[in-house]
Amino acid sequence: AESMTPGSVSPHALCYFSSCSSWLPQRVPLRGSHWQSSLLELRTSLPVRAQPKKKKKVDVKKEQAQKERMKKKLKKLEKAAPELIPIEDFITPLKYSDSNRVRSLPALSPEESERRVLLLKKWCLFKQKQDEAEKKAIKALVECQQEALKELRLESEELYQAAIQRDEGLFPFERDGPSYSPPLPGYDPPEGKCLDITKVYTQ
Amino acid sequence: DALLGCHRSYRSRPTHGIGKFKYLLPKEVPKKRKEKVQMKEISAGTEYQYGDINIQMTSYDLCLVEHFAQYVHRLCNRLSIQVNESYAMPTKTNEVLFLEERGSKMQLDAVLTTHQRVVQIRGLSSTFAPILLETIQSNQPEGVHLLMKQHTEADFKSRLKSRPELEELLAEMS
Repeated sequence: AESMTPGSVSPHALCYFSSCSSWLPQRVPLRGSHWQSSLLELRTSLPVRAQPKKKKKVDVKKEQAQKERMKKKLKKLEKAAPELIPIEDFITPLKYSDSNRVRSLPALSPEESERRVLLLKKWCLFKQKQDEAEKKAIKALVECQQEALKELRLESEELYQAAIQRDEGLFPFERDGPSYSPPLPGYDPPEGKCLDITKVYTQ
Repeated sequence: DALLGCHRSYRSRPTHGIGKFKYLLPKEVPKKRKEKVQMKEISAGTEYQYGDINIQMTSYDLCLVEHFAQYVHRLCNRLSIQVNESYAMPTKTNEVLFLEERGSKMQLDAVLTTHQRVVQIRGLSSTFAPILLETIQSNQPEGVHLLMKQHTEADFKSRLKSRPELEELLAEMS
């Protein structure tokens, strides 16, 4: 049984024609063994109806073009300045600005307004005293410190210089605010977890 | 004809500049161009002074942290400490889920928002630093967490939006 492969149609035809018309002896390639299906040698094929592959040039050009495109994209992106993440605290949600309803407050009696004004004055005075006490305390601290440093300088110059140096171990400094009540003894918190659902902004 | 149409007035004549009127109009403010967000230089400080320091205040309560930040800013102004910037960090939202007593389902307990304000100061002297710390601590409201640290570039970058496309391209290029 003859094996008909698409590549090997023509030599067969040639062979046939040559055997018919014997006045044109032609060299016919013989198959090496019955495993070799085509008449062509190993690793060769007849030229197919397409452009022969230009391997090296086109690839390099394509790569260069791609690189240039990427560089252009990078330049464009880098030109755009980085933006700050918008802070949700300062954006009032729309639902509070749409409606026009206004709260109607009850009228204040003169005693009530009098009481409020006097309370405000007392509060102002209290705050002023507090603020002044704070200023006085800071002033006293600074004065004591300066005096101590002066005395130290008189004692020894080396110690004074060492005292003036900045403290590297001071920062980072962390402190939690005071709590309303001390921690409850024997408190068993329920099991649970915290999910971070912060909106991620991308430029 | 050409002589009549000529409007030239000589500089020495009293009629010089007779047609001018633009100086009478109100001055036009030049168009404000969008300022690029650029990082300011971070100073390292000398031996007797600290460089840029960030006072970060964090809390779940917005009003408290806002008022505390204002107080710290005013305090620094009063004590003539140079304040570079006073800004807010983006808010973080957390969903707290807890496990029900009988059952395996997680139930939504609350949605908490964490707010953070930052006051950046420069040129704090080493002798005055403990006094300032003491004053701020004594006025710290409950629930407000205080953190003081040196300012770094990473701190600045955390305020900016992330650009995944740029990072992807940079990764591809290198």
